[in-house]
Amino acid sequence: MTTSAVRSYRSSAGTLGFALFLAIAVVPIAASLLYALLYTLGLTGLLSNGFTLTTWSRVVTSRETWAAFGISAYVSAVVCALSTFGGLGVALFLRSAGVPPAIAARPRAATVLGRIVRARGRKGHSVEIVPPGEDARRLQAGRLHSRAIAFLYLPLALPMTVGAFAGYQILSPIGLFARIAARIHLIGGAQEFPAFTNDVLHLGVIAVHVLLALPFFALLFLQLCESERVDAYAALSRSLGATDRQTLLRVTLPILLHRTRVNVLLLFVIVLGSYEIPLLLGRQYPMMVSVLTVTKYQRFDLLQKPEAFAIAILYTIVSGAAIVIALRQRQEETA
Amino acid sequence: MFLEARGIGKSFGGEDVLRGVDLSVAQQTTLSILGRSGCGKTTLLKIVAGLIAPDAGQVLLRGIDITNLPPQRRHILYLYQEPLLFPHLDAFDNVAFGLRLRDRPEPEVREATETMLAELDLSEQRHKMPHQLSGGQRQRVAFGRALAINPALLLLDEPFSSLDSETRGSMQQLFKRIAARHAITSIFVTHNLKESILMGDAIAHMRDGALHTYATKEAFVQDPGSGVAEEMEFWDGLRFQ
Amino acid sequence: MKRLASAIIAVVCALPFALVIMLSLAHGWRFPAILPHPFTAELWRSIVTGRVDLGAVFARSAALSATVALLSTAASFITAKFIAYHRRRPLLLTLAYAPYVMSPVILGVCILYLYIRAGIDGTFAGVVLAQTIFAFSFGIVFFTAFWNREKLELEQLVYTMGGTTRQLYSRVLLPLSRDALILCFFQTFLISWFQYGITLLIGEGKVQTLPLKVFDYIGEANPGYAALSSCLLVIPPVVMLWINKRLLPRIL
Repeated sequence: MTTSAVRSYRSSAGTLGFALFLAIAVVPIAASLLYALLYTLGLTGLLSNGFTLTTWSRVVTSRETWAAFGISAYVSAVVCALSTFGGLGVALFLRSAGVPPAIAARPRAATVLGRIVRARGRKGHSVEIVPPGEDARRLQAGRLHSRAIAFLYLPLALPMTVGAFAGYQILSPIGLFARIAARIHLIGGAQEFPAFTNDVLHLGVIAVHVLLALPFFALLFLQLCESERVDAYAALSRSLGATDRQTLLRVTLPILLHRTRVNVLLLFVIVLGSYEIPLLLGRQYPMMVSVLTVTKYQRFDLLQKPEAFAIAILYTIVSGAAIVIALRQRQEETA
Repeated sequence: MFLEARGIGKSFGGEDVLRGVDLSVAQQTTLSILGRSGCGKTTLLKIVAGLIAPDAGQVLLRGIDITNLPPQRRHILYLYQEPLLFPHLDAFDNVAFGLRLRDRPEPEVREATETMLAELDLSEQRHKMPHQLSGGQRQRVAFGRALAINPALLLLDEPFSSLDSETRGSMQQLFKRIAARHAITSIFVTHNLKESILMGDAIAHMRDGALHTYATKEAFVQDPGSGVAEEMEFWDGLRFQ
Repeated sequence: MKRLASAIIAVVCALPFALVIMLSLAHGWRFPAILPHPFTAELWRSIVTGRVDLGAVFARSAALSATVALLSTAASFITAKFIAYHRRRPLLLTLAYAPYVMSPVILGVCILYLYIRAGIDGTFAGVVLAQTIFAFSFGIVFFTAFWNREKLELEQLVYTMGGTTRQLYSRVLLPLSRDALILCFFQTFLISWFQYGITLLIGEGKVQTLPLKVFDYIGEANPGYAALSSCLLVIPPVVMLWINKRLLPRIL
């Protein structure tokens, strides 16, 4: 027996949600990817002459294509590695520079002989004896640590466009670093400054991406240290006889890196398709994937247009696979 | 019978959760349903409430087939295990919620709510937010909210399982008092043997997707499958050690 | 040593902002001077005097981003509910995630054809719709976490209490979601505010927004105005971050 009234008591909102999902996200992207595919197969478009695999054959055998994917993957991998481990280092450093809350709350409580501090944290109460003068030093360190964390939020407000522009103004042969180098006589002129922009290794592209991503990961690791109770596991590890180094390598780092592997994979996909930064700081050859795609699309030579679509489809397949893997891992985590 | 369910069947993912379940509840009585976790008790309650559609069977309220009626029109209130108070409303507004849904005049709402809060010994807590209340207080607010709208049938899904034993005991007494005073008809689901005997006027036992209803409490106690005999043997054994 | 390291972190994070502010107050930056000289507010004054159209571009960018934020927040609030409680939630969530994480400009190359056929290429509306696709998918990811088991049970509770759908939303779900809606609005605003590639492609250069102006001025070898445009571009996100540190341009 069907009970359509019971089944449907919530379905009107569900129908609208489904319709919006199709109309805004699924249909436009699916239709445009289908159009792009048909274009690459010669089945539609201004120069279409019927089914052909010429475009795909040209793209798949082109050094330009694989150089683009290669350099994009290389840049993404390096950015991910530097952002992850750099962020981890910054987070662990800032944690070690922190100050117990009881001291922060009572800065003038120091006595001649020292002070007994009852610090209240998640583990309940712990007691330590603070020698005289130590409060002020710790407070100062704590303030510095809080300010450093506050500064970490700044790059999160930096768009890629401005990051690219600022990156050029800092790293180019006439940028800030070159000027400082010239002022302290490390170089004689702009032409002697090493190439960090428009260079083979895409160092400028990597540096700006890392500037944007590393603070995010540092803040993420700081948050995870609290939510994953890293201190509690570290204390447990020490009570089992582990040294500080062993605790760091076998407990702290694995917990934190395991929890962020999905974020790292998603960062990889984002950097792979990045446009503004490589547009300004990258080279003409090899171009990163997004720059190559748009350049081919916008060229006067109409034969390049189907190649642009083919590269877009290849990118969609690669990044789509990475997203599926990342989300499957996240679902396993939360299941 | 006030409520009847006939031949209720439901399966999820190819697995039969309910198989031909019949139950009946007389007016102004409480039917206890005892069963282990995962035996289908919650599914049965949700079918009666109209939150899940059965694959087979009928639900009748006062002799009228309500199987196809959406939950908004059944006047059957389903209470979850957790008190599930509206987190953005204080205790007073939580209790008043159902009355305001019915667009009752505000003075009438205030009077009815104040009376209910007093009855539940919650007058001092009227302006507290849910996170400021204890587990027992939250459960009492949930009761007050349900009783304020005088539902035809109350479905309680293990309402005291998250409480400590002392609070649980006082809540059991409170519910029995209120059920008698307000002439409530209810189904009380639990996995606790003692609670099922204490709370119900009649008892049923859910096993393997089927519901076995007992004519009397004595019949339930004497049934070897109910688990009462084993329980009594355990306590007797302790006494002589 | 720790003080030095903390100071380095602070300097590195603040350097891009300090640099663009400095360049926007400069008349030129001759090599190898470390600081430009003289400092002048002339470029900033030119916004007010109308010598450059950056004021109008700022307003257009704000209007565009506000429209995208409103549309995508409202639509994703509803769609996320559908996805969150759907039995195929993992698949639908993966489909929703893809546009958010993938390159807008690469997908934009494919989408442009649809917009040309619809006659909305090179228009404000076209850019709004294109940006909404990506902001919408972010919103779905954002709100799917909001539509949890507790919300579902509250909804069922209200229905069994005899409430209508309108009462459910007006008295329970919307009050509960107020903070989430505001946060999503700000985040989708920033997603649109920062967009360059897809605005350039779909807008065909006719819909001028601040990111486009930055690149235009870079192309004209005019770092002063590029810096000025950059300053205008970072004002809203810095203000929003100041108000609420929870706001992140991207949530991974």
